[in-house]
Amino acid sequence: MGTFSNQVIINNDIKGVKTYVMPTGAKDVITISGSILGGSIHCADKNSKLAALVATMLDKGTVKKDKYEISETLESVGAELNFSSTRYHTHFTGFCLNNDLDTVVSLLAEQLMTPSFSNNELSTLKSRICGNLERDKEDTKKIAMTHFLRRLFPKHHPNYRDTIDESINLVNKITTKDLFAFHKQRYGRGSIKIAAAGDINPEEFNELIIGPLGAWEKKETIIPPIKEKAKDPKESNETINVPDKTSSDLYIGQSIGIDSEHKDYYALMLGVYILGGNFSARLMQTVRDKQGLTYGIGSSISGVSFGADGYWSIWGTFAPDILKKGIKATKEQIDLWFKKGVTGDELSAKKTTINGSYKVSLDSTAGLAGKILSNAEHGRNISYLDKYPKIIENISLSEVNNAIKKYINPNKLYMVSAGTP
Amino acid sequence: MKEQLQTYMCPKNKNNFTGYDFVKKSAGIEEYTLVKNSLRVLVLEDHSAPVATFMVTYHVGSRNEAIGYTGSTHLLEHLMFKGSRNFNKEKNTAIWTELQNIGAQINATTWNDRTNYFEVVPSEHLERAIAIEADRMRHAFLKDEDRQPEMTVVRNEFERGENSPFDVLDKNIWATAYQAHPYHHSTIGWRSDIENISTERLKIFYDTYYWPNNATVTVIGDFNKEQALASINKHFSEHSKSINPIPPVYTDEPAQEGPRRITVKRTGQTGIVGVAHKSPKGLHEDTYALQLLGKILADGKTSRLNKLIIDKGLATSIFMYDFPFLDNGLFITYVFLTPGTDHKKIEKTIIKEYNNIIENGVSQEEIRRAQAQIRAMVAFSRDGTYAVASALNEAIAIGDWTFYTNFMENINNVTAEEIKEIAKKYLTEDQSTTGWFIAKEPKA
Repeated sequence: MGTFSNQVIINNDIKGVKTYVMPTGAKDVITISGSILGGSIHCADKNSKLAALVATMLDKGTVKKDKYEISETLESVGAELNFSSTRYHTHFTGFCLNNDLDTVVSLLAEQLMTPSFSNNELSTLKSRICGNLERDKEDTKKIAMTHFLRRLFPKHHPNYRDTIDESINLVNKITTKDLFAFHKQRYGRGSIKIAAAGDINPEEFNELIIGPLGAWEKKETIIPPIKEKAKDPKESNETINVPDKTSSDLYIGQSIGIDSEHKDYYALMLGVYILGGNFSARLMQTVRDKQGLTYGIGSSISGVSFGADGYWSIWGTFAPDILKKGIKATKEQIDLWFKKGVTGDELSAKKTTINGSYKVSLDSTAGLAGKILSNAEHGRNISYLDKYPKIIENISLSEVNNAIKKYINPNKLYMVSAGTP
Repeated sequence: MKEQLQTYMCPKNKNNFTGYDFVKKSAGIEEYTLVKNSLRVLVLEDHSAPVATFMVTYHVGSRNEAIGYTGSTHLLEHLMFKGSRNFNKEKNTAIWTELQNIGAQINATTWNDRTNYFEVVPSEHLERAIAIEADRMRHAFLKDEDRQPEMTVVRNEFERGENSPFDVLDKNIWATAYQAHPYHHSTIGWRSDIENISTERLKIFYDTYYWPNNATVTVIGDFNKEQALASINKHFSEHSKSINPIPPVYTDEPAQEGPRRITVKRTGQTGIVGVAHKSPKGLHEDTYALQLLGKILADGKTSRLNKLIIDKGLATSIFMYDFPFLDNGLFITYVFLTPGTDHKKIEKTIIKEYNNIIENGVSQEEIRRAQAQIRAMVAFSRDGTYAVASALNEAIAIGDWTFYTNFMENINNVTAEEIKEIAKKYLTEDQSTTGWFIAKEPKA
């Protein structure tokens, strides 16, 4: 396998559409991953659920086709088109056989450009979304996570989360007029990026996709600046009672004040990975493997994209009667990690892990397309994907241990558990 | 450890490798038997990415368990990571560390009919995965001091599952539908068995089932076949065949003589309805028509139940499964209700639609659409070495790996008349088990 730089065919901004096409040895199959800058951050001042509802309504009908015609078109060739939204983007993914690429691309363009947003479909969708949100009230992990992020971040920060009841209230307020307005404001050429991988001809794909999308109206291509920073870390504990649960979910962590472009980011990321990035990391080796207190525990850095100051967190599950013991064991590992840092051997092993995992993640067209799109969304040159292993390799032990000391404060941890005490 | 695969022999001809008998080939996948110990080996070269997947599937699952030691297959799977003769903490070669430090994706899973251990590795490290799996096949430590903490780990896995209303309802439906056959209990087992199973019992389990003649090795990806087969021969040939024959499961489920019902009440927010019917063994010829029927009923927005239930806002989601197992299984439709939707109304809607198909059959267009969905699904099941291994694993488990390679052809041969017939044969009231999850108000 060669490099990304010499295998990905880039169509850089012809008619406001950027494509990244990677033919691979996969037989017959193609995965398409794309996005438009149209996530919840772009409607946070009005209704933060709007972006998600617009994305979900894209497969509920277009001006020319009702939802059944859309589904029949896809299902008759066994293809899939899915739409979703995140904090920053509306994402779309397509899976199809190469013979059906024209059908799928043409439908994708139609769904993105001319949704019908019918009142009936919106009403049914709202009832389903609210039903799912009601079900989330039983989900100890989601409950703990929501409390965790609300404690770390102020309301207008990208990492803040609404409560379930707030979300239900926001969803119920949305009208088709709101959907049309958001679609008109955000959906168009300019910010659209599409990656495709598999049994694909780049020229053919570009012709298919740029034809319809090239005629689209051009829209804003910037992410609004983040006006608020995370709250200052402060030690506090919270327990949320969720009845009739046999396992509790625990979050421990704090905000870190930096984003993924910061010079210390990779050093801190490696440090946190050594603490709890995989099964052979410290938390799983001690709290699970040695002490048997949990099925799963890990640590990671999140919420650091597109200029947002993010957070590090530990997530684990414990039976209610051993939760205290689990917290104690976890805190001991945090203290040890903070006070003594990580070793050269650990760093060396984890560098190999991360670089090997990177290679393994290229095993499928979905893995490739996802990685290429994410790289493009962050405004990085394709060569970054080739350089990434070297970037990781060049981080020194002192950089990692200094980053742990600089960004982690074990005396100011926020901890929340959700379950049946 | 030397990482590169070494050449240990030269093939005499295309499919003739020292130490192996060639058995058959289907869709590019070749089957060999290691002569020394009857280990079955499946090989597929694919150089699309610099990655290889190595997998060992043991033909033992929770169907090989009985009262008192349910969950032991799964607990044993956990203990298999605790160390073996050459790969252990004492030698600083612990399995997780050895594999994760090279970036391998590594795990194991247990289900009704099989237990599989797999590694997706950068291809230059394939031999390390082979060596580890060969070592733990017969030299796992299985120490009591390891079982004690691992029992609570597995218990937490059980507890996490119990948090989910769906998991609890699904367990109850299987336990109601199957009374004698071991599919009665779920793979995780009953809590008291997880807590009390002894290390000695697990060792007996290991010494009964973990043998080369009760396993299938699969290697897929970016490697040289000759070298990979030589490496498998080198590492696995140290084991003999099992000393005793592998004991068969002989318990048949008695005929069901009427509809069964189960209700689970627990604090929660929304209800679930599950309607299950007994389905045939995975390798039975009716499996293909049932797979298509499942798609027509509940897969995709144009599916019948989706139109009748989801489009009316009566449920948040719907899905049905009919996994082909070694023995008879269940054809189950699950509906997750929106707040205020009546369980009975949904149950009646499902049964009414089943009866509609029994009476009027399905259309050619529905069949064509379902076949197209499966065709794409099969193509994507070849997208990546792990995807192939994972799909093959389930076919191996039900007793014939070519179930995977011939699946599409068999699906293409199903007719509308056959679907109507199998609906009439299997979706009968007397063979049904219906489950409701009822959400109770929290106590004040």
